[in-house]
Amino acid sequence: MQEEPRPDAALGLTGVPHTGEAVGADGLLVEPQAEDFRSASLVPRDPAWFKGAVFYEVLVRAFSDSNGDGTGDLRGLASRLDYLEWLGVDCLWLPPFYASPLRDGGYDISDFRAVLPEFGTVEDFVYLLDEAHRRGIRVITDLVLNHTSDAHPWFQQSRAEPDGPYGNFYVWSDDDSRYSDARIIFVDTETSNWTYDPVRGQFYWHRFFSHQPDLNYENPDVQEAMLDVLRFWLDLGIDGFRLDAVPYLFEQEGTNCENLPRTHDFLKRCRKVVDDEYPGRVLLAEANQWPSDVVEYFGNPEVGGDECHMAFHFPLMPRIFMAVRRESRFPISEILAQTPRIPDGCQWGIFLRNHDELTLEMVTDEERDYMYAEYAKDPRMKANIGIRRRLAPLLENDRNQQELFTAMLLSLPGSPVLYYGDEIGMGDNIWLGDRDAVRTPMQWTPDRNAGFSGCDPGRIYLPVIMDPVYGYQALNVEAQLNNQSSLLNWTRRMIEVRKQHHAFAEGDFDDLGGSNPSVLAYRRRWRRPDGQEDVVLCVNNLSRFPQPVELDLAEHRGARPVELTGGVRFPTIGELPYLLTLPGHGFYWFQLVDSGDDGEGR
Amino acid sequence: MNDVTDAHDLVKKVLAELPAWLPAQRWFGGKDRPVTGVRELTSTVLNAEDPVLVHLVVEVEQQDRRAPYQLLATDQVEHCDATADLELNGRLLDLVARDARIGDLRFEREPGVEIPTGLRGRPVTSEQSNTSLVYGSQYILKLFRKLTPGPNPDLVLQRALQEVGCEHIARPLGSITGVLDGRETTVAMLQQFVPDAVDGWAMATTSVRDLMAEGDLHAYEVGGDFAGEARRLGQAVATVHANLADALGSQRADADDIERSVRAMGERLDRVVASVPELEPYVPALREAFEQARDTPGGVVIQHIHGDLHLGQVLRTVHGWLLIDFEGEPGAPISERTALRSPLRDVAGMLRSFDYAAHQLLVGQPEDHQLAVRALEWSRRNRAAFTEGYAEAAAESVGDPRQRGYLLRAFELDKAVYEVAYEYANRPEWLTVPLSSIARITGEGA
Repeated sequence: MQEEPRPDAALGLTGVPHTGEAVGADGLLVEPQAEDFRSASLVPRDPAWFKGAVFYEVLVRAFSDSNGDGTGDLRGLASRLDYLEWLGVDCLWLPPFYASPLRDGGYDISDFRAVLPEFGTVEDFVYLLDEAHRRGIRVITDLVLNHTSDAHPWFQQSRAEPDGPYGNFYVWSDDDSRYSDARIIFVDTETSNWTYDPVRGQFYWHRFFSHQPDLNYENPDVQEAMLDVLRFWLDLGIDGFRLDAVPYLFEQEGTNCENLPRTHDFLKRCRKVVDDEYPGRVLLAEANQWPSDVVEYFGNPEVGGDECHMAFHFPLMPRIFMAVRRESRFPISEILAQTPRIPDGCQWGIFLRNHDELTLEMVTDEERDYMYAEYAKDPRMKANIGIRRRLAPLLENDRNQQELFTAMLLSLPGSPVLYYGDEIGMGDNIWLGDRDAVRTPMQWTPDRNAGFSGCDPGRIYLPVIMDPVYGYQALNVEAQLNNQSSLLNWTRRMIEVRKQHHAFAEGDFDDLGGSNPSVLAYRRRWRRPDGQEDVVLCVNNLSRFPQPVELDLAEHRGARPVELTGGVRFPTIGELPYLLTLPGHGFYWFQLVDSGDDGEGR
Repeated sequence: MNDVTDAHDLVKKVLAELPAWLPAQRWFGGKDRPVTGVRELTSTVLNAEDPVLVHLVVEVEQQDRRAPYQLLATDQVEHCDATADLELNGRLLDLVARDARIGDLRFEREPGVEIPTGLRGRPVTSEQSNTSLVYGSQYILKLFRKLTPGPNPDLVLQRALQEVGCEHIARPLGSITGVLDGRETTVAMLQQFVPDAVDGWAMATTSVRDLMAEGDLHAYEVGGDFAGEARRLGQAVATVHANLADALGSQRADADDIERSVRAMGERLDRVVASVPELEPYVPALREAFEQARDTPGGVVIQHIHGDLHLGQVLRTVHGWLLIDFEGEPGAPISERTALRSPLRDVAGMLRSFDYAAHQLLVGQPEDHQLAVRALEWSRRNRAAFTEGYAEAAAESVGDPRQRGYLLRAFELDKAVYEVAYEYANRPEWLTVPLSSIARITGEGA
């Protein structure tokens, strides 16, 4: 038999602490421990911080290159924290930066306790955390619980020594017939959820790619090992995790092996570790399902939620695009009407764009929402959505629409997640393969490599955008900083306004309806601890044409809408429906104040 | 106005002011002739003093015509119309909530319904032939202005639909009944109010506007495509028809029914063409189309229907489409409004409405061939989608409207002839909408 190469040798981890650098007498791999590193200072404790935070998804590779090798890194990201603080970002979400063969964008983790060498080291990450925390910015990252890369030393041990301590870390079987009711997720590339391993002479189970074997959560050692992975990073000071692909942890014959009760039980264990040992850190579930199913991942509402603190609201995003294309509020109103209440201690994460493509094939259960197939059939929708594009090109670089979309992102219920570059209206490069179209270098300046890296332009990981509309010479942070009317400065002001009104964060949401189908109006109402109410009214014109709308605000008779960006006082709300007119794709944010009040109360 | 001290004085004052005040009211149906007299039929004191509130039914005389109208009078506001007084009109809901009886007036909740008291009513501004009050964004009370002795079909049909669990109506919650000509007469109806609803006309014209603004895209390509909505609307209408048949029965039309119906269409045509010469060229084709309706394979099912269905009578809510206003055509006599008719009448009414929605942006504009083609394309696409949706959900006895093409075509043409008369008298610039439809339908064959 040919000798398997040492897994870590290929991953450039020689010389840095990593899993499997030694093997103990008991056969256990030596793994790096948090005590081996300095840990970061923490942001002052606030158990509800995530409910009002503005998140910013940033790809380490794409943001800033500190060492001139053409690839962004942790030190580079740390050097841009002043910018993110200025923008008003409260929390960074970093996709995986762990050691990985990068066959699935880093989601194929080959060492949970080492950093991908081109991004830096664990020490660099602690430095980033420390610098971020000093500015009041928190950091969360992706963690894949379900599987590892096949290059992970655990898997290498498991296949080589079935009777060793890792022999039972993965789901092995003599044949490929078990769990046949589980669907194959990547139907394009995989033909089965089982793959034969010639080394061990058995099949292993994998819900995703065949190079990503599923961990065996039936094994208590696996559960402990993964909880220790959580502890490793939490000890270093990280503020939370986005838990990737959570529905698939356990398998059970006769089921589709998704959302099983024992999967929820394990998430409750994770949550308990966080609550007991690391209060104030958060777990965010990635479960691309209907809101009524996703709420299961918040856990028991009677105790305010005892699984994940947050979950992404996936169906809202495509519907914002559909609503504006249809000039009808119903796609948004309907999905929000179908969104159940979530436990008190929880919050949705909402977004317009992220590092993945916009997918319309989110769930297959069409019965639950008759409209879904309807909208997906629309050819123009398919051309504009369900593809790999950034926000600005999706909206044909229309500034009014970019502002409208961002205003809705910042005011609909949930914590907004911005995608790096969208604050300056960055473009994409659809000629790049796979999902790289939206992962090009951040455009900082009109200088070489858009100020992203000092390397030879040929060495850069992806070419910077150079087209005449979105090219870095004209479209970059530096230019927009100097222009008060830029999208960047506008976005910053809106984030600032959002933070002045806690109603945007935790306020109740009421869809106000109204006679005009093209106008989406809603109220966010928050009762402050002192008993005073903060009431914010948001009115959005989804049509490209100017529109009037009459709103029934009888409940607020005598109150006065004060526009939030300029402080202009609008006429007092009377007995009759309140008439507003909006320009095409226009929007208003108002605070409703008692007449006589000057609108300062927040 | 405080010189009016009691109900008697108030009624006297109101009767004196009515001849001048009535013609200015939107809901007043007799604007074509002067009011020559107003007589009190019934008055019921709902509040004796401070403030005085009187329910009044008056007979309005206009030369040779007399019709009863319902009023709510008070000494608190100018012209004494208490429906406009937000404090006072809340009394009506309170009385319904308490199942009150005052004189001949009976206020009632529907079985099992609880209603809070103390809410204020806001008059709905878009109401045309009646006066509706919205309470607390939850309840809507419709006061029928022009009264017809007997139960109102709006209440009768929606009550029946509610009993069979129809999901496409706003739930009826209560009613007010009085006595007119010795008969128990519905004077008001309370329903669930759907604050997030938008009427179908606004939805459809939004889609048309989107298409018209496109440079080169077809109706099925634009983001604002309405066909999905139209199809679900068709399903909703078919479901309501099936529910009505379940609740109140249906029967096969006999030869007399059909004969009467075809004759009525012919007579309407005679009347209209006498005053609108533009209709003349289409008369032979129209007559032939009406005659063809006689032989409908499989016969014709008749039942209770909506009777005045168009895009303005349907509401889009976050839970789907609702049908409202089951009163029938306001101008038609009650015997016609309550008669059993083919459900395809409603289908035809909706098809005409799609045509109107498609063309309304073009009315009064310079002719533009491109936009006219767009309008037609939108109309065809959404009419087809509506009909398909209807066919999907239709009861077996009613079946696929496309299988009864002659009948549907005759109903649609009959409706268009009615529109010709209406537009000729009221909005001459709109006359081209029904006329061009007639030209197209008669030219295309079934």
